[in-house]
Amino acid sequence: MSDAKLLFRPSEEEILEQEAKRHILITPWDGLLKRLDPLYNWGRRSSLWPLQFGLACCAIEMICTAASRFDIARFGAELFRASPRQADLMIVSGTVTKKMVPMIVRLYNQMPEPKYLISMGACASAGGPFKEGYNVVSGIDKFLPVDVYIPGCPPTPQALLHALITLQQKIDKQSIKTARWYGKQEGEEVPVPMLGPDLVDLRRSDEIREICAAGEPAPKPAQLPAMIPAPAAADGTLVQAGDLLKRVRQLQLQGDRPMDYLSNLTCTDYQDCYEVVYHLYSTKKGGPATALKVRTPKVNPVVPSLMSLFPGADLQEREVWDLFGVRFDGHPNLKRVLMWEGFEGHPMRKDYLEPYYEGPGKIFPSRWKEGHHQRAEERVRFGDNVSYPAGFDPARWEEPQGQSPAWTVPEALDTLVVNLGPQHPSTHGVFRMQVKVDGERIVALEPVMGYMHRNHEKIAERNTWLMIFPYTDRLDYLCSMGNNFGYAIAVEKLMGVKPPERAEYIRVIMAELTRVLNHFWATGFLLNDLGAFFTPALYAIEERELILDLFEMASGSRMMCNYMRFGGVAADLPEEFLPLCNSLVNDRLPKAIEQMDRYLTRNEILVNRCRGVGVLPRDAAIAYSAAGPVLRGSGVEYDVRKAEPYSIYDRFDFKVPTFPEGDVYARYRVRIAEMWESLKILKQALKEIPAGEILAGKKLWNIRVPAGEHYGRVENPKGELGFYVVSDGTDHPYRYHVRAPSFINLTALGKMCEGHLIADVVAILGSIDIVLGETDR
Amino acid sequence: MRIYGLELLRGLTITLGHFVTSYMGGIFTVPYPEKRLKTPERFRVLPMLIFDGKEGEKWKTETERCTACGICAKVCPPQCIWIVQGKDPATAKPVAKASEFFIDVDVCMNCGFCAEFCPFDAIKMDHKFELGSGERDKSHIFDINRLHVSTEYYAETHPRAWGEEQARKKAEADKKAAALAAKKPEGQG
Repeated sequence: MSDAKLLFRPSEEEILEQEAKRHILITPWDGLLKRLDPLYNWGRRSSLWPLQFGLACCAIEMICTAASRFDIARFGAELFRASPRQADLMIVSGTVTKKMVPMIVRLYNQMPEPKYLISMGACASAGGPFKEGYNVVSGIDKFLPVDVYIPGCPPTPQALLHALITLQQKIDKQSIKTARWYGKQEGEEVPVPMLGPDLVDLRRSDEIREICAAGEPAPKPAQLPAMIPAPAAADGTLVQAGDLLKRVRQLQLQGDRPMDYLSNLTCTDYQDCYEVVYHLYSTKKGGPATALKVRTPKVNPVVPSLMSLFPGADLQEREVWDLFGVRFDGHPNLKRVLMWEGFEGHPMRKDYLEPYYEGPGKIFPSRWKEGHHQRAEERVRFGDNVSYPAGFDPARWEEPQGQSPAWTVPEALDTLVVNLGPQHPSTHGVFRMQVKVDGERIVALEPVMGYMHRNHEKIAERNTWLMIFPYTDRLDYLCSMGNNFGYAIAVEKLMGVKPPERAEYIRVIMAELTRVLNHFWATGFLLNDLGAFFTPALYAIEERELILDLFEMASGSRMMCNYMRFGGVAADLPEEFLPLCNSLVNDRLPKAIEQMDRYLTRNEILVNRCRGVGVLPRDAAIAYSAAGPVLRGSGVEYDVRKAEPYSIYDRFDFKVPTFPEGDVYARYRVRIAEMWESLKILKQALKEIPAGEILAGKKLWNIRVPAGEHYGRVENPKGELGFYVVSDGTDHPYRYHVRAPSFINLTALGKMCEGHLIADVVAILGSIDIVLGETDR
Repeated sequence: MRIYGLELLRGLTITLGHFVTSYMGGIFTVPYPEKRLKTPERFRVLPMLIFDGKEGEKWKTETERCTACGICAKVCPPQCIWIVQGKDPATAKPVAKASEFFIDVDVCMNCGFCAEFCPFDAIKMDHKFELGSGERDKSHIFDINRLHVSTEYYAETHPRAWGEEQARKKAEADKKAAALAAKKPEGQG
């Protein structure tokens, strides 16, 4: 017998084994796993529990994905968990800011394995349109491993569902044998980044120290932002710093038309001075603003604080201190509000250059003719959106003092400080409240914001006038049409353009539809905050979806409409718009509002939880610069559409609903009543809309705006939205400021909450109706 | 005496109403991925470049519509468009064609300005939204090959705009022909 034959003849043992295999099920470990893996993966892929955690605009689309039209429950992923301990999917939905990223990393670390991460939208993936901002992280993947990226700004709910399916397919390919979390070694925690003079990734500490110690200068930019000297002020507006309080008091008390409402307070950085500007209005008589200006030198700038006359100046003065470094003498709690204590520099100063600074104004020459793509990371010193002072050593960084709230509490009380947010299901975004409680009762409350500060104003001052439109969409991302409207009319005033009739009607229709959808949303989520978890919100979102369909049809996007242009709108309404809009306004929406009103307004739980809670008396509401439903819920009949009519609002017949109680219930009722009034306006506008042009003049992209300044405002659903623009005659604004109602309405939050229970704080915040994109800008 | 809980029952009648209507064709849910929400023509996700041709063909310098005028790059708010102007291979002189075109998808804000202001109908907003993937470093920089789609595809996604464009081009051609015809006898005479 040859060797070969011997080799191929099976031995008896082998034959026995083969026989055994044929008749008895003996599965080796690998084979068993192969059978187990599909079952095990099926279990995990079909029960992905996302963390209830939203950052920015994308979070709204995420909520819509969970609502009835898209219904994420069909994928077993409807259990949005408020605690990271119970969640296994983190959907990073929106812009990741430097101030927020330590919290995100901490949440991720707290999630048990196996855990997955979807990066939703351009911002989460790489910073998106806000990438160049000084407070924006260039992608969550700089810190956390990402499973699925979704491009889009924002991705639609269906795009998110597609990403979820992609993730499920990825899970299907996993095996118990190779899965990280089944190994012996524990998953490594990601070190929580530190907020020093800029964001510090602690894994790069040594590298950062070395670069800072080498003192290698940052590459010098080719061009610095140009500065202009302060232009001559109009008669009577310029006030000496020492006379400011006297003059304001005088205006406040003047007999015929008391200027009792401080609407806007901001600052402009000129070559020779900082100019702080105040816009005062009269809630009794309406009419245009009285502007006051105070100039202060570039070195050690100080201006007296208006806090003693207008408590509503509080957050606005803090913002000017934070972004411009102008001190307010007499402000009891002057500390940063949007950035964190310890941050290096005052970013809105013209000489402050962000790490990704490329040039003083867009259009950047690197993009065209020889536009070879290069990521911003590739051309900067630290390879990331960070900069540190010379000699900085992360290991020796000490957190500066003065971050804690400046509250005065009677010592006799046994108090405790509790943090609500920035990651909390009821704060409507990344908003934080520091609460001092005596048992369950609030002794003091201080709002902390800036977790979504994405540098809207700094980016806008580099943008051309036209480019700002899509950025305004992302302020109050529920009401992008209203934001477009406000910005358009502010700049049109400087340009001296008047839109044609049809465009005016289209604008009003869009703005009022926006008001209806916002109030649906706000009411739905107020009920959410009261504990009626998601049911009223689901029905409210349904109506909102139908209005979004109209927006999408006209503008191309559900949320980021970018629909208005200087002197008109971007495109005429498609032919099917008006019939659909008519049927919605005349049939469907009245029924939906009526239903909401019928079931909620006299509901015993809603009434008991809302009546007498969070009372803001009439005088306080005015002094605190409250706006919109918050102001009118305190019995002040003040609505910009009536007080200083813009566009064609003077033609319509509508009322300004007010309720005198000033509590959560009154604000709720104002919103319901306003929806009825909006429908009234819509019916008139839809009846009267003429045919014709939709844009005055030719559509231009390279617009120059004549030199000058203007403060334009509109009544947005959340309150008075103002745009303060200063033009030096070039193609981009010299100064651009947004008076954000969500931000300023929060000034009174602490006062409203005093003496109430923690559960009431949530309802009070819900009744103010904030949106963080606008609060933090 | 007050009876509590009546409001609760009243509220539940809404739920009951919706439950009943859901059996009468009143379901609001769109069961993606089996069915999709109908997207309107103006719907915009990411930009795409157009070349004259059929689906499945590859774009060529002769068929590409882009003239590298750079207006899209100039109106782009986050400045995510990068264009290299083409050169004539023989003379090395710049020609009115783009040889490279990049869009950084992770910076793009889907605003649609590029499409709105392009004078050559060369860049439009695509409807494709199913773009989720596990990687972004390479695949999220769309280059000229990835961006190009045919006019056939565009005519399908944007039938109205395509019809308007055809009508406008026809009117222009007619006008030109008429002007030429009017000029001819004059020249001969």
